[in-house]
Amino acid sequence: MIELVAPLPFHDEDVAPAARSRVWRHLRRNPAFWLGASGVTLIVGLAILAPIIAPYDPVFQFRGDGLTPGGDPLGPTSRFLLGTDKLGRDELSRLLFGARTSLLVGIVGTLSATVIGVAVGGVAGFVGDVRRRVRLPGGRAAVVALPVESLLMRLTDAVLSFPILLLAIALVAVVGSSLGLVVVIVAGFLWTSIARIVYSRVVVLRQLDFVAAARALGASPRRVLGRHVLPHLASIVVVYATLGIASAILFEATLSFLGVGVPPPTPSWGSMIFDHITYYNTDTRVVALPGLAIMLTILAFNLLGDALADALDPHHWK
Amino acid sequence: MDRRRRARGAAVALALGLITTACGAGTAPSGSAPDPSGGTGPEQGGTLSIAFNSDIQHLDPALAYDSVSQPAVHLIFDSLLNYDTGTKLVPALADGMPTVSADGKAYTFKLHAGVQFVKADGSVLREMTADDVAYSINRVLDPNLKPSPSPVESAFFGSIVGATDVIAGTTETASGIKVIDALTVEFDLVNADRTFLNVMATTFASIVPKEFAADDTAAFDAAPVGTGPFLLKNYTKGQSAQFVRNPHYWQVGQPYLDAIDFRLSVDGDAALLQVEAGQLDVLGDPIPSGSFTQVTTDPRYKDQIYHHTLVEVWFLWMDTQQPGNGPLTNVKVRQAIAHAIDKDHIVQIIHGTGTKAGCIFPPDLAGYDPACDPYDYDPAKAKQMLAEAGYPNGFATTLYADTTDPDPVVAEAIQQDLAQVGITADLQKQEFSTFLDTLFTPHTGPLGYIGWYQDYPDTSDFIDPILTCATTVKGGANASQYCNPAVDTAAAAAKGMTDDAARIAAYQEIQRKIMADAPWVPLYFLEQFNITSKRVGGFAIHPVWIIDVRGLWIKAGP
Repeated sequence: MIELVAPLPFHDEDVAPAARSRVWRHLRRNPAFWLGASGVTLIVGLAILAPIIAPYDPVFQFRGDGLTPGGDPLGPTSRFLLGTDKLGRDELSRLLFGARTSLLVGIVGTLSATVIGVAVGGVAGFVGDVRRRVRLPGGRAAVVALPVESLLMRLTDAVLSFPILLLAIALVAVVGSSLGLVVVIVAGFLWTSIARIVYSRVVVLRQLDFVAAARALGASPRRVLGRHVLPHLASIVVVYATLGIASAILFEATLSFLGVGVPPPTPSWGSMIFDHITYYNTDTRVVALPGLAIMLTILAFNLLGDALADALDPHHWK
Repeated sequence: MDRRRRARGAAVALALGLITTACGAGTAPSGSAPDPSGGTGPEQGGTLSIAFNSDIQHLDPALAYDSVSQPAVHLIFDSLLNYDTGTKLVPALADGMPTVSADGKAYTFKLHAGVQFVKADGSVLREMTADDVAYSINRVLDPNLKPSPSPVESAFFGSIVGATDVIAGTTETASGIKVIDALTVEFDLVNADRTFLNVMATTFASIVPKEFAADDTAAFDAAPVGTGPFLLKNYTKGQSAQFVRNPHYWQVGQPYLDAIDFRLSVDGDAALLQVEAGQLDVLGDPIPSGSFTQVTTDPRYKDQIYHHTLVEVWFLWMDTQQPGNGPLTNVKVRQAIAHAIDKDHIVQIIHGTGTKAGCIFPPDLAGYDPACDPYDYDPAKAKQMLAEAGYPNGFATTLYADTTDPDPVVAEAIQQDLAQVGITADLQKQEFSTFLDTLFTPHTGPLGYIGWYQDYPDTSDFIDPILTCATTVKGGANASQYCNPAVDTAAAAAKGMTDDAARIAAYQEIQRKIMADAPWVPLYFLEQFNITSKRVGGFAIHPVWIIDVRGLWIKAGP
């Protein structure tokens, strides 16, 4: 299964909004950042411009002239720059539109996962296990235990321990495959690690002096959470979301490779590999090209994520 | 093929355990293949290896119903009858063909004397008698057979008098199975049924010894004992099975080989590389699609490749009783779809491993009609017919296919053909066992792509199990939910006909009737391609067994 990188080290002197210029100064000097950022920009640009720059409709099967007489994919020609696939569809157009599928799943899936993860981890860490004294009718009092923290984090552990691929295959068998389902599966798979990271940070934050001070000054819990705790989570969330997009793209490819991902004929890099796996020996191109696209995209997001993590880590500041 | 299904190419089934199957069809050995013997006759000795993508599911002949289990069962067991190199029935354990009563309802078999059941260690258990024959057929009808009743009990053996009582569990032995003496057995049928002799040649009608098969069926499934030319030496689930020569085999001079190694769960591409390197004798599955052109056009392998069009039709089913009075209930819509599918393109993307199908019956099946092709490829006409039927802008539906290569690709070609005439089909690819649920559960799949492979070489097998009213139930293989009482009546009459010419004419008329109702779009008849190593002798694609491993030998060579 795809694992996120180890949690960032925690530092008391966390990244306050004032430190932004320092972060930027550090990023600017990191070649990995430029490499990752330009890679991501390129891929996002290609995905957005796909309808304009793609030479053909990615799902159109060229009958007759899109395949060899023996029924095999065509190699690169002046008409099909990267050749065709085994249904006579233009490989270049499918790769470009495949970027849209990957990024859509990656970004929407990761955003949803982040929202769920921050909410679950934040609430669990901030509220903790509460005991409330309630006044019963008749003037007597009772103590009600609300183990918010335990419930939410054990739920996270439970989801984390699910064999997500088997669950995905079973889900697809029951409800049928669709792009929406892939996003849901990706989000359902990714939110747990974000929730854990956010939780562990909030647990530390809520005990820090400035939080205690804000509380002592009479700030409402909502204000403490919104003004004092969440801003300190921003950096870590940005880093993990960036890395999460890479995981999501890889996971989408895995699902599509297993035949339970985005339904055909929508191009997806994973299903492009799946559909042509028996050609690995005779026409490596149809397997290698989408594989290369997946690799480069994930590399770009990982470089960017690592650079952000470095820059947001105060140990590196000089 | 209903419960059975050919494994084609490298199924990316991973650990999901596809139940792949087959059995083949055709009337003559591979026409265009070279003379397998190379001019010399069979030779004795040697070990032959054969690889399959999937595992052996069952070695109990009452249960084995897939393309790996049945060849294995056919090594260990004999039935009363067998086929020659074509579809002609020949006696096996029967001593000569049976005598048939004048009304065609009673078949009397004389048994071959001196046939021994031989245990796995090579020791003789005892001699086979008529009691074993009666027991074996009653056993297939047993509703309490563990772990499950035979998949073909009523479909194959239901015409024996009293069989329905055994299936219902009210008695243990069918009254129509009569032991006359130690070497004579009689079968009485409810109606004259021409398919009965074919049934008696299937692996389901294998003769088994009661003392091994009765009590512990799980143990029998794992360590079967029969009268066949080979003995099971060992079997490692998901990996391999070794068969060795039966030293007491009743047929003189048989078998040729000393031993046969089944290599199981071997990916098709890996197996192909092993054949090319001379490390494997037979690729049990068809040649993987990605390497197909390269291998079949390589002059080095010219004499090692065999092909033959099987009695197997691949088609698009359409739910003729679609719930909510859906568009597919309209015959005009179904005919429009038949005009919309570009079959030539489909044959091209499967690398020509098939012949374009105009109607239902494949070549080599009695009743094949080359002139039958009522729906040509004409998208403009299809659009016009859809408009006439009240769907000028098409409609949305769902198309089902399984995930075994190349089925999803063919389904995507069908999807585009439908899109060309305005029908938006959501394509659902399902792992094979899930796909079978879709097929067997009425109205689950409005459209679907699948093949039907014969159980035995008789035309009735292309109508009765798939296109009659009785099969429009859960568990029936009639995914089109096609029910036309006129066809049912005609099919019942044709099944018992004794005059071949009249019977063929009757089936051709039935085929025309069905095609007019368009419950299917027949797409192509599958052509099987196999590759062997240079040293394999006697290889030919058999119309029923596809690969008849029993008859192979190893050429002594340099």
